[in-house]
Amino acid sequence: MRHGLMLYFRLVGVQIRSQMQYRIPFLVEMASTGLITFASFATLALVFQRFEHIAGWNLGEVAFLYGMVETSFGVMDMLFSGFDPQNFGRQTRLGRFDQLMLRPVNLTVQVLGSEFILRRLGRIAQGTLVLVIALNWVDIHWTLAKLCYLPFVFIGQICFFGGLFIIGATISFWTLESIEFMNVFTYGGTEMMSYPATIYQDWLRKFFTYILPAVFINYYPALFILDKPDPFHMPAFASYLAPAAGFGVLAAALAFWRFGIQHYQSTGT
Amino acid sequence: MTPIIRVHHLHKHFRLTRNRHGLLGAVRGLIAPEYRTVRAVDGISFDLARGELVGYLGPNGAGKSTTIKMLAGLLVPTSGEIVVNGHVPWRERQAYVARIGAVFGQRTTLWWDLPVSESLDLLQHIYKIPAQQFQRNLDEFRQLLGLDAFINTPVRALSLGQRMRADLCAALLHDPDLLFLDEPTIGLDVVAKERIRQFIQHVNRVRGTTVILTTHDLSDVEKLCERVMIIDHGRLLYDGKLEFLREKFGGKRQLVVDFAENYSDAPVDGAEIAGRDGNRVTYEFERRVIAASELIGRLSSQYRINDLEVREPDIESTIRRIYEEKLLENASDAAN
Ligand SMILES: Nc1ncnc2c1ncn2[C@@H]1O[C@H](COP(=O)(O)OP(=O)(O)OP(=O)(O)O)[C@@H](O)[C@H]1O
Ligand SMILES: [Mg+2]
Repeated sequence: MRHGLMLYFRLVGVQIRSQMQYRIPFLVEMASTGLITFASFATLALVFQRFEHIAGWNLGEVAFLYGMVETSFGVMDMLFSGFDPQNFGRQTRLGRFDQLMLRPVNLTVQVLGSEFILRRLGRIAQGTLVLVIALNWVDIHWTLAKLCYLPFVFIGQICFFGGLFIIGATISFWTLESIEFMNVFTYGGTEMMSYPATIYQDWLRKFFTYILPAVFINYYPALFILDKPDPFHMPAFASYLAPAAGFGVLAAALAFWRFGIQHYQSTGT
Repeated sequence: MTPIIRVHHLHKHFRLTRNRHGLLGAVRGLIAPEYRTVRAVDGISFDLARGELVGYLGPNGAGKSTTIKMLAGLLVPTSGEIVVNGHVPWRERQAYVARIGAVFGQRTTLWWDLPVSESLDLLQHIYKIPAQQFQRNLDEFRQLLGLDAFINTPVRALSLGQRMRADLCAALLHDPDLLFLDEPTIGLDVVAKERIRQFIQHVNRVRGTTVILTTHDLSDVEKLCERVMIIDHGRLLYDGKLEFLREKFGGKRQLVVDFAENYSDAPVDGAEIAGRDGNRVTYEFERRVIAASELIGRLSSQYRINDLEVREPDIESTIRRIYEEKLLENASDAAN
């Protein structure tokens, strides 16, 4: 366990050092991924020029939803790059996973350590910027409970998205074609979570409530922090479910991952 | 002594979905998929003693890589038993792989963007190799494999031969008991091949590492292995000394004779004339029919000879004959 952790930091350290070697491309790409994030936020802001509110949410409040998801997704994308389904699937076809299996280290640790994309800092920075703007625009009534809860919401979101990446990577043991399908959930999920749940059709909202518990990851915590009423009349604890839902999805993903490895060992590539 | 590897009735069957053509075929494939079974390894048994160096041969698709992957714990057999070093390879993966080394010729275990030396440093930590042991091994391998010329080059910039040398070093730093090599000389030039053969031989002789290697290059086998296993269609056709294989299936030896005068015909009992070129006549004869000395005796009593040379059948053509004419299959059928 300790060996695994030490090794993880060593592997990540090596990645960071080698990525820093190419400083100019690194900075350019970091700035551009950041700009894309910011541009899509700017588009959102433009929409608000015409409509003051979307489903009872003003621009500042939506910016809060948006900034939270962008930041946590960026962090996840940096930490879990090794599980990025497309990349993982391709690497596995090239025999990379066999090489990991030949080493006396936990496989999850090795995949996590196999890729660490520092450029994601661009996205994280822009996400944080949007969040800071939001906090400026919205007059949040901060309490101790809210302050303590916020980090857990972040961790829950990171676990949630990380879980989706792991599920996608695991599916790539079976097929590469369905990866696109998985992206619908990962990238569609982030997009969906950036807006108030009220704008979605009933069936879609139910799917993201009871099947893939995405609404508890961002929307409900935001209701709590922004002191907004719940239009769906869920029990009050719905707002505190973010960490549980995040860990739940991650735990389920890891169980599926172990099952996938067994499948891989019986079929090969 | 207990064998280091024990393989018993090993099977690996792959189930492939048969692709059907056209839209209708695709729909039918979804509803009632049709499977085809490939018996990649189909009932193989053998033992390996500690310190052996064995060549594992067979034509393309024979099941060599599949066997190596099962031995290395990458694949779980369909049925049968493997015990290596007291471990069942695919159970307790971590404990098992800590004691083996493996190189798959077309793959690298090194980090693509890192200099070789940094990759090797990482492996020290991965295998928890004590600093002294690591340094000692690294010094030895650097010298034997000539790594110094490219030890600071990123792996992606290495030539195939350099990469293979670096990979061999990487596979052995932790002093494994066993080394699995799947086509370690594939795509290399003669000089690089020779260097790698010498290294493998050194590791086996001096360090006592048990080695299994697959190859399509029979000179690898001739230079390195006393014992060979030949498989085809997932079945073991031959397991024994390379020497014996040549003796038994070697086909015909040749005797090339330069006569002192031009004989219009030069028949001799026990051999046939395979070709002639002026005064030079090539005879073919079989080991079990007549010995070379006997044949030379007969010839020199009948004709005036200037010079002669005995040519052994090369192992390449022997093995080609074995694959093509399925000699071993017939032999084992007869034995059963
Ligand atoms: N993961 C897999 N899924 C399905 N079939 C496979 C798989 N791996 C190997 N096979 C099939 O099993 C058979 C044996 O393959 P294997 O790679 O073991 O042969 P090989 O002896 O290593 O051949 P080569 O000399 O070409 O490397 C082949 O018919 C191959 O197509
Ligand atoms: Mg092969």
